[in-house]
Amino acid sequence: MTATRRLVFVSGTLALCAWVLVPIYLIALGAFGGRAGAFKWPKEIVPSNASLDALMLFVKIEGVWNAAVNSVIAAGLTMLFSIALGAPAGYALARFSFRGANAFRLLVLLTRAFPLAILALPLTVTFIRIGLYDTPLGVALVHTALALPFAALVTASLFTGIPRELEEAAWVFGCTRLQAFRRIVLPLALPGIAAAAIFAFVISWNEVFAASVLTVRERTLTAYLLTVLAESPLHYRFAGGFILIVPSVLFIFAVRKYLFAMWGVSSK
Amino acid sequence: MTKSLRYALLAAVAVTTAGIATTGGIGRANAQDLVFLSTQLRPIEEAQKVREMVLKGAPKTTYVVDEPSPFTVRMKAEVEANKHTVSVVGALHGELQPLVPMGALDAIDDVAAKVASRGIPAGLMELGKLGSGKQLYIPWMQATYVMVVKKDALPFLPAGADVNALTYEQLAAWGKAIQEKTGQRRIGFPAGPKGLMARFLQGNLYPSYTASMVTEFRSAEAEKMWGDFKAVWASVNPNSTNYDFMQEPLMAGEVWIAWDHVARVKDALTAAPGDYQVVAPPAGPKGRAYMPVVAGLGIAKGAPDRANAVALIEHLSKPETQVLVAKELGFFPVVNATLPADLPAGVKLLSEGVAKTQNAKDAMVALLPIGLGDKGGEFNKVYFDTFQRIVLRNEPIKATLDAQAGAMRDIMTATKAPCWAPDKASDGACPVK
Repeated sequence: MTATRRLVFVSGTLALCAWVLVPIYLIALGAFGGRAGAFKWPKEIVPSNASLDALMLFVKIEGVWNAAVNSVIAAGLTMLFSIALGAPAGYALARFSFRGANAFRLLVLLTRAFPLAILALPLTVTFIRIGLYDTPLGVALVHTALALPFAALVTASLFTGIPRELEEAAWVFGCTRLQAFRRIVLPLALPGIAAAAIFAFVISWNEVFAASVLTVRERTLTAYLLTVLAESPLHYRFAGGFILIVPSVLFIFAVRKYLFAMWGVSSK
Repeated sequence: MTKSLRYALLAAVAVTTAGIATTGGIGRANAQDLVFLSTQLRPIEEAQKVREMVLKGAPKTTYVVDEPSPFTVRMKAEVEANKHTVSVVGALHGELQPLVPMGALDAIDDVAAKVASRGIPAGLMELGKLGSGKQLYIPWMQATYVMVVKKDALPFLPAGADVNALTYEQLAAWGKAIQEKTGQRRIGFPAGPKGLMARFLQGNLYPSYTASMVTEFRSAEAEKMWGDFKAVWASVNPNSTNYDFMQEPLMAGEVWIAWDHVARVKDALTAAPGDYQVVAPPAGPKGRAYMPVVAGLGIAKGAPDRANAVALIEHLSKPETQVLVAKELGFFPVVNATLPADLPAGVKLLSEGVAKTQNAKDAMVALLPIGLGDKGGEFNKVYFDTFQRIVLRNEPIKATLDAQAGAMRDIMTATKAPCWAPDKASDGACPVK
């Protein structure tokens, strides 16, 4: 009985791992196998003429580092802004009942209702006029608008999950509202907030259209490289895919604990 | 745990702030460079070659690539805000056209005078006026669409057919023979989301059968054409609706006979030049139509650095630069330049294929749509939808053509675009019979 269960458990685990790992392995094979390797069939388990050429090309492209730095700045700022604005909004939604709270909940999603392609022209004109054009700050502002609804709604559900009684107890013991928030609520909510921040970071990191229309010289990495990836030869696409996958897999592996917090188990 | 998280957040803030400080500096250092914005030569490898090789010897330039739609948005935004970053633009004829009504292009008759001795054909220079009477762009490079044939396919060629002078019936018979003997459908078209299938329909198929692109859209000839093309499609690889660039399926061996833009098959040819032959596209009853593609260089009105912009255009239209572009990037010179004998074998195949196409006895030029402005996408969609309905979904030919002709007429009336070759010149909007 236990042996059968064990077998089912092990084979199930193996199947699930393969589900994730086999595609990643195939991408890696394409990325390292060079131009011919990408088309070879049947695939070799270990590439016979592995080379770093395709990957190195990405690294050597002029301006790629500047673009990477821009991406980090834009994504970092997006993360900061969307938490700085979204978390208070989320707190308000969770703790106070005010007129129009439900409408607000819905309306906050509206920033995602308009396709960026329609907003692009007026946005670009305005950005040029006020000097935000071609700066990572400008890109970050647009990305913040995109990430804000998620930040507000995710943090709202987080704060709802933290019992109000804890906060009230802190007031009883003489904390001010702010102190109670800082000492009691914030530590409990921090993992969840971090997860929401990561989410904002990822939204900004992956966004292409606004980033490419609003910048010329100071492109983000996605706008600089990945828009053209689809038009590149197959082995470059594999290499680009590999470059994209590896950091995000490592990143998610590192923060996996906090990711669960986003789904509302932080206070349990 | 929370503490480490707090440190991590602090570190993120620090990195961001430091980054802003440094890029502020980089931004200023870059600010004197000339910005050359292009919709061509976008793929990473090619853009890299432009930066490293083609721009060598030109004024210090930042080469930026954009897809056509952000390109138009950006140019319009810079005009409206009246602050300019972009000095030189490089784009296809059809992508430069919409910039004219928004006043984004500067008149460059002075540059035209400077490059007059380079031997750019008068017809191309005339195109560069975009119908305005002033020179708005200088032709930069040209290309066209060809058929690539893998040599494995040649033994199956139907009796009496010449691979360099195929007809659509012969193509269908050829594909059928291959399918019968090998069990595989080996003809391929780029009918995927980013493929150029609409250009095949506009520039090759329609004119070859009807000597028209727009006017005869639903004529009896067009009906016969769709019937014939359905016969071809019976031997077309069903994966075609996923193909964007034909070089991949060619290299993978899925497809033996493929139609595409020269730049989109170049990789296959350079990788294994011995395996392929490049031939002219098939002919229909009215001729062997082909669509030349011209890219041009313009200067933005209000360009931050006009003097260097002029110098850059002069550099790019030098015969040496043009030959280099042909050699490395597979776009052909517009100036009078002889391609050297030591061309890479793949590029040589392409240039021969282009020559065969242009010099065929029954060759017929079909121009890229002119004067459609931002309706160019809708125009392409009419052709692609018609193709989808008739060929992929098997809808009745006549009824579909009648319905789609309505959509076509709407576009023509809305844009008031007069006919372009091979349609006969019209007063006012090009009619759809």
